[in-house]
Amino acid sequence: MFDLSWEIVAMQMIFGLALGCVYVLMAGGLSIIFGLLDVVNFAHGTFYMLGAYAIFVAVSLCGNFWLGLVSAVVIVALVGGVIEWLLLKPLYKRDPLYPLLLTFGVSICIPDIIKICFGLIGKVVPYPSGLMGAYMWGPVMIPKYRLFIIVLTLVVLISLWLFLNKSNLGMIIRASTRDSLMTQVLGINVSRIWTIGFMIGIGLAALAGAVAAPMVASIPDMGVEMTIECFVVVVIGGLGSLGGAIIGGLLIGQVISFVALFAPSWSNVAIFMVMAIILIIRPRGLFGEEGRL
Amino acid sequence: MKRTYWFGVLLSLSILVFSMGSAMADGARLGIVVPLTGPYGTYAEEMKRGCEIAAAEINATGGVLGKPVEIITRDSELNAGIALRRFKEMVQEDGIKTIGGTLSGGISTVVNEWACKNKALYMTFCHTSFPLGKENCGYGFTTGIIPYMSGVAVAKYSFENLGKTWMNISADYRWGHDELAAWLVTSDKMGGKFLGNIYTPLGTRDFSAYIPQIMAKKPDILVLSLFGTDLTSAIKQFAEMGLSKRLKIVCPKTAMAIAKECGAAYDENVYGAVTWYWTVQDYYPKARKFVNAYMKLYKTPPDADADSGYVATMALFEAMRKAGTVDDVDKLIETLEGQVWQYNKGPEGFRPCDHARTSSVFVVQGKGAKAEGWDVFKVISEVPYWQTLESCENNAKDYPYGQVKLPGK
Repeated sequence: MFDLSWEIVAMQMIFGLALGCVYVLMAGGLSIIFGLLDVVNFAHGTFYMLGAYAIFVAVSLCGNFWLGLVSAVVIVALVGGVIEWLLLKPLYKRDPLYPLLLTFGVSICIPDIIKICFGLIGKVVPYPSGLMGAYMWGPVMIPKYRLFIIVLTLVVLISLWLFLNKSNLGMIIRASTRDSLMTQVLGINVSRIWTIGFMIGIGLAALAGAVAAPMVASIPDMGVEMTIECFVVVVIGGLGSLGGAIIGGLLIGQVISFVALFAPSWSNVAIFMVMAIILIIRPRGLFGEEGRL
Repeated sequence: MKRTYWFGVLLSLSILVFSMGSAMADGARLGIVVPLTGPYGTYAEEMKRGCEIAAAEINATGGVLGKPVEIITRDSELNAGIALRRFKEMVQEDGIKTIGGTLSGGISTVVNEWACKNKALYMTFCHTSFPLGKENCGYGFTTGIIPYMSGVAVAKYSFENLGKTWMNISADYRWGHDELAAWLVTSDKMGGKFLGNIYTPLGTRDFSAYIPQIMAKKPDILVLSLFGTDLTSAIKQFAEMGLSKRLKIVCPKTAMAIAKECGAAYDENVYGAVTWYWTVQDYYPKARKFVNAYMKLYKTPPDADADSGYVATMALFEAMRKAGTVDDVDKLIETLEGQVWQYNKGPEGFRPCDHARTSSVFVVQGKGAKAEGWDVFKVISEVPYWQTLESCENNAKDYPYGQVKLPGK
């Protein structure tokens, strides 16, 4: 066993925070989609994977990580919008099982399409220049790229809050979440709002995939486990609660980081144990209040 | 009357088709089960392609006993239960006597045990421990080497050239444990100093949590007994932190696909072991035939898993030719035990006592940003089998590696 010094604890917290931020982006997107559309998006991890491949393609074409990052989010969000418009929208009036099954089908089809187009071997997305290595704060190492992920997530969350709470469109999205029928009666094209909301949710998943791409093996099946873990985060935070998704994501990031320190074999299982404990104490999750953004 | 006539025609045609099928089924068949879906699909696809290229080569030279050979492929989905079910279907329903595949060493030992009970000849393509101890029951052959062989090969090189203090990250299953055991034994013999081990569950994506521990211990060598996406993620994340500049990373099993996925991160500070690599065709010209055939079909060079599938299939069908039978398993076993071949590297064969492949191991070094196309490794050493494969007596007792007390286990 090694010496547990404060430097190691500090570094584990930083790594856990960065990992948690990826979960926050994923779970935030899933919460928005569920809160707005009542759709459990089983393909959420697939869009995470698409984000990774989109940034790979974009960076290969333009050679610039930042341009690639923005392009990846926009492109995958547009793909999500098309899928919602063409495939999901006709199913809203039917049994809730239908959209769920559709997203499950999408989660199988798209990875197979990616395998055909790109092959089975993962793609390389290089770290942006200037973000390799780490800052040293005394004996504590603060990896530059992880710091970037933390800062980026903070910026995205603040932007999202401002959008949802201070803009007219955000107000309409929140209104549609609370009562879509009343919003429609007031003359708002709710169908278009749903598409926009879905695109925002997918855009967040794509952003998570794009920032994760330099760190992990970017393969067609990379979204499978991410979908499961994302659902755990959302359940912990409370279905449909964006605030809950944030807290849940950060909590899970720390859990994985510290369990890996003491009992690495349990790091994958630990998140499910945390979910079980929280659900026993509070069955609706930490901030569970369906439909709330 | 007319109805009876057409019924008779249909019946006759059916009998004809079935009898043709039966006649085709008399030809040599190898039924393989590999995890085509799932995280190791890349490597499973390599194995399948290697088998198919070998079969095509055999058929181009007249097949076996005048009939074309056939590869029948099923997907195991990296699940032991599914793999066994697929093998059972092939052996018990389709009448196939010679089976091959799996990519997981753990699954291969389960399949080997089943093959022994059901008297099927089993060729495994992956690293496996079934030639050891009680698991060796006589019906299995491996073209994938015993895990400790690659561990010993690369450990010896490391302690001679890279340093003495080492730390290990092990995938927490049989193969990872076997590699750790190989390193512990070699370290004892060569004056290495073991600083600690971390077991990680299969499918770990984030290795950054382990970096503070590694930095605190300051090893010369970090051994990554990982494979597939786990290994890719680990190397990329350690490169991100600049870890590969502070120490040497050594992988007891690596692959061309992993180096390709890591890109510049798989640089000259990353070493690994492979049973074969395509550029060895420069000094083993016989390998060019296989490499060219593969590249013509798939536009990429083959990797070690493809070689493993190819060698197993060639050895099996050539044994069928020599033995003059496609389904007398005992005769085929006897023939394979005495067989020596030279396909893609130097002479090798299956050792009669335990059916282990007498394979050399190549120690390779990454090229990082200097890699061109698929030339991602520099081959720095070929370790012959007599420097890594234990004697028959030792393998029968699973000694010494099976006797090692692993940390935390």
